[in-house]
Amino acid sequence: MKIELFYTPGCLKCADATGGLEAAARELIPEVIWRELNALDELDYAVRLGVVALPAVAIDGKLIFSSLPTCRQLRRELTKRIAEAGKYVH
Amino acid sequence: MPLTIGKIASLAKVSPDTLRYYERERLIEPAAKSEAGYRLYERDALRRIRFIKEAQRCGFTLSEIRALLTLRGSDAACCRDVRHVALEKKLQLEAQIKAMKIMSKALTNLIKECSVEGRSLDECPILGALERANGVKGTAR
Repeated sequence: MKIELFYTPGCLKCADATGGLEAAARELIPEVIWRELNALDELDYAVRLGVVALPAVAIDGKLIFSSLPTCRQLRRELTKRIAEAGKYVH
Repeated sequence: MPLTIGKIASLAKVSPDTLRYYERERLIEPAAKSEAGYRLYERDALRRIRFIKEAQRCGFTLSEIRALLTLRGSDAACCRDVRHVALEKKLQLEAQIKAMKIMSKALTNLIKECSVEGRSLDECPILGALERANGVKGTAR
């Protein structure tokens, strides 16, 4: 699974939250691909995914959170996906 | 010396009605009113009006401009905050451009389909496709 967090350079809110979000994701999926993308550098990709507000989080190439999720929201989303995929058992 | 609405509007190259509209939208307000009730503006207001016009040119809505003006006047804000707003606006504009390109391409295809001259409106593929897209059954007209 690939998680991409689009952020504005210098966004303090993003910087504060990303560590916790990544840790929450790794707790559920140790091999998760975690990418933090500067929306300014990845503008075309962000537009392709439909990002219009920052920060935003995409999972497996689809925009899932149009604002910064809490760790709990991310965990819930990942748990749902894991259950759907049936690949991981906890 | 305070400027009347007509004078400042003329200097800013907008109409007095535009300034009244900006006022209703809480973007600008006169510094004072004359005894006769006419709006009077300080020269600083000119800068603010030009700011609003330029931001509108960049695609910002009036409510977004209000937020930008609030940021501009906030001691707690910095350039990074403005960049964040600008970047989000750019993303929104790019999304609109993308949607419009898709629409333009769809129209190109429809125009190509409508290459036969002299068809009746009932047979017009453009009208037909638009009506099909709206879920309308029946002929084109």
